[in-house]
Amino acid sequence: MVWRFIAKRVAIALLQLIGISLVVFFLIRGLDADPVARIVGLNATEEAVKQATESLGLHEHQLQQLGNYLGIFSSSGKPGIVQGTLGESWVTGSSILEEVTRFLPITLELITYALIIAFLLAMPLGMSSGTRPGGAADRFTFVWGLFAGSQPEFWWGLMFVFVFFFVFQQAGWPSAPAPLGRLNPFLTAPESITGFIMIDSLLRGRFDVWIDAGKHLMLPVFTLVFVVSGPIVKMVRQNMLRVLRSDYILYARSAGLPRQKVARYALRAALAPAMTLTAIIYGFLLGGAVPVELIYSLGGIGEYSIRSILNLDFPAIQGTVLVIAMVSLVIYLAIDILHAFLDPRIAF
Amino acid sequence: MVAETNESMVAGSSSENILEVRDLSVRFPIVEGPDVFAVRDFNLAVKPGEFVGLMGEPGCGKSTAAMSFLGLVRPPGVIETGQINFAGDDILKMDEETVRQMRGRDIGMIVQNPRYSLHPMMRVGDQIANVYRAHNDVGKREAWEHAVSMLRMVGINDPERRVKAYAHELSSGMAQRVLIAIALSSQPKLLIADEPTSGLDVTIQAQFLDQMWDSCRQASSAVVLVTQDLGIVANYCDRVVIMHEGTIVEDADVYTFFESPQHEYSRRILQLQREAQEAGDAVLGKIDRTAPPILEVKDMSKLFPIRGSESKVHAVEHADFELRPGECLGLVGESGSGKTTIGRCVLRLVEPTQGEIVFQERNIAEIRPNEFRKFRGDLQIVFQDPLDSLNPRWTVHQVLSEPLKLHTNLSPEEKEQRISELLNLVGLEPSMRFALPREMSAGRQQRASIARAIASNPDFIVLDEPTSALTPETTAEIIQLLMDLSAKLGIAYLFISHDLTTVKYICHRVVVLYLGQIVEVGTKDQVFNQPRHPYSRALLSSHLFPDTANRRVDREVRETLEGEIPSPITENLPKGCYLYGRCPSQVDKCRDLPQELTKLDDGRSVRCWRVAEGDLPDEPAAH
Repeated sequence: MVWRFIAKRVAIALLQLIGISLVVFFLIRGLDADPVARIVGLNATEEAVKQATESLGLHEHQLQQLGNYLGIFSSSGKPGIVQGTLGESWVTGSSILEEVTRFLPITLELITYALIIAFLLAMPLGMSSGTRPGGAADRFTFVWGLFAGSQPEFWWGLMFVFVFFFVFQQAGWPSAPAPLGRLNPFLTAPESITGFIMIDSLLRGRFDVWIDAGKHLMLPVFTLVFVVSGPIVKMVRQNMLRVLRSDYILYARSAGLPRQKVARYALRAALAPAMTLTAIIYGFLLGGAVPVELIYSLGGIGEYSIRSILNLDFPAIQGTVLVIAMVSLVIYLAIDILHAFLDPRIAF
Repeated sequence: MVAETNESMVAGSSSENILEVRDLSVRFPIVEGPDVFAVRDFNLAVKPGEFVGLMGEPGCGKSTAAMSFLGLVRPPGVIETGQINFAGDDILKMDEETVRQMRGRDIGMIVQNPRYSLHPMMRVGDQIANVYRAHNDVGKREAWEHAVSMLRMVGINDPERRVKAYAHELSSGMAQRVLIAIALSSQPKLLIADEPTSGLDVTIQAQFLDQMWDSCRQASSAVVLVTQDLGIVANYCDRVVIMHEGTIVEDADVYTFFESPQHEYSRRILQLQREAQEAGDAVLGKIDRTAPPILEVKDMSKLFPIRGSESKVHAVEHADFELRPGECLGLVGESGSGKTTIGRCVLRLVEPTQGEIVFQERNIAEIRPNEFRKFRGDLQIVFQDPLDSLNPRWTVHQVLSEPLKLHTNLSPEEKEQRISELLNLVGLEPSMRFALPREMSAGRQQRASIARAIASNPDFIVLDEPTSALTPETTAEIIQLLMDLSAKLGIAYLFISHDLTTVKYICHRVVVLYLGQIVEVGTKDQVFNQPRHPYSRALLSSHLFPDTANRRVDREVRETLEGEIPSPITENLPKGCYLYGRCPSQVDKCRDLPQELTKLDDGRSVRCWRVAEGDLPDEPAAH
């Protein structure tokens, strides 16, 4: 049953991916913008423009361009998506697949750590605020939600840099490293295995890198946790309130179940919706963590996609959108399976 | 009188009572506005082995009171003052752990909404085992085996499989039995049952209450039964306690209560029921049986296809019946018997799969939808839930204007006049003319619904459980109104209900349905006083009439059916008689012999070959 469900979902996901790539392909070509001018400059000769247009393949009919992109009925003889490549960047000339696999793990690492921490933090906090509305935990959550929700994340990012890097350094306290990338420039990153620098450094036995990377990731992860935990805590709290008023909790208490058992009953019911919300935030952050990536100069996929858009680098835009969509679909599928595993009422 | 009863109870030696509640008040803080006391100055004493019925209108605090006997309140409520003495000790003064141990061991609880009271994401076996382990020092496996044996004890077949089920996979009847398994497993000295059978069919209700009664009498447990149903109280309780606005206003033994109720509320509900019955008897006999029928249903069936499957849901099979002008025909049966589907097919809200529906000498099952529209004014329906069937943004005036606009050619002034007339007919005050549905009580909403149905002067109305969502008091009023209207306007009713008490008041003839088939048709007296089909007999015997003359618990033989109604899917249906497997009178021949509806000498029709051949004795019903 589970396998049939997964197969069905993967088939649907493939269709969605085809749809998304078509929409993006034609949408960017419908833009009132000239990528050729962007590349050759404003004072280029007509000859140079023509040459550039032809080398980018933009002189051909849009359907032929699509064929070249997909790798079906290609006129250029170059491989396309079907052959397993996303093409080459118009700006750097290197393979987009290679660039994406270099930038994507940076973002994935950032938001994965952030959301795991946020979830682990939100569960107990939300539960205790739900169990005792108006109690200390609840008031803390309220104040936190007010702060975290009232300012955008880039503002908090800048504030944290100012306090934990600048102020702390001025005061002579141990401070966070400068927000200039994932590693101290004097260290060389270990050769990539997973793309997650914390994991790669462990696998390669580079503990100096592990410690330094940890320090560099600390503030960006903290910034994201600070901002995204609010809604998750509120979700858990709301669910907890609802569950505690439910007939089955009242009944469990009336049957004389011990306190911890009743708490476990409640947790079980409040867990699933919070997990779903976390997954949704994850999907959103894939492209939405840009401000944090920029502030800490991490160079993730969000930053890469912004650069591609500003450069009108069509193949790069198409490639990033496709890859981000793919990752989101995988995440949603995983969370649906997990959800069905937790809640027997969901049938495949 | 009331105070006296209470005092004499409380004054008695306290060790004599298993439960003694004194001056209990439960407060609910309200964010805006003053706090609400759901229970206040509540005094009650229960002797060991006693069955006490706790009654009252909705919102009178009876459920809150019952829950507080365990020292529990639904959040955000708090127990403000009072004592709850269980076997002489005050629960409210005990420490958390002691009370915790008493709950489920000494005091059992059975609640309303059995399926919502089980955790939706855990196997029922684990839940039973958890409760068992909370009170007994046993291992996981032993507790699990205990759960299996508990399920077997409460009569769930295939307990090894059911123990692994989740709440949503059980029927409400089965879920309720799981709860009774949990509650009775420790033989509590006191059992609190909060509307344990609301939402159950009558045969299941009887099975369940019988089981509870037997087990509690065996263990000499006391029971506090919270209910709104006079029938349950009359048939099972020793004593009746009436609650009104959070406090007890009447406390009497069951016979005294039904003979001479003291409090205004008790008198009103009992009297309304009596009046309804008298009025019903008065209307009877006015029907001209020689007049041509106003509606004839011939060989009508409705099968619903199941998506992705060859089999079908057999909602209605070969229904045949007729209605005379001004007649009220009752359609009774348990859930899944097809009674609602018949009502909808007759109005073509659902298209019948086959058969004829003859109305005003036309077969309305076959005419085109466009043409059918002009019949709509003559064929009306009133639904179960009045709030759901009225547009929440429309005033009563708008609701009543619509049918007038669609089906009449009245001038604006005439329409206004007609609306006033309608309000008057259904007993709505003129001030209700511009009220919105949510501003009215459920009874008024249903009156507005009825007014809408009669606006176009119909000859025939389908009443689809018109009183099931109402309190007993309002039910009696609505029944009265329906009978008045029928007498004044000569409307024929198809009255669909699972509540036999109301059917008994209002109907001239009764059709009994089982699994989509008509099993018996006869006059009210025939079906109610001398039912012939084994299913009708069991149904009538299971029904609890609000009458202490022949209590179910006093009967030597309590006729009932085994098991539950199967779901009417093609492959589930028995080959021969549909009741085979549950019928107390079955013989081997019934298994493979399809049953025909046969007319008997006394004018009624029965679908049972043994009755038709005079095999089964013709004796009066037990009730």
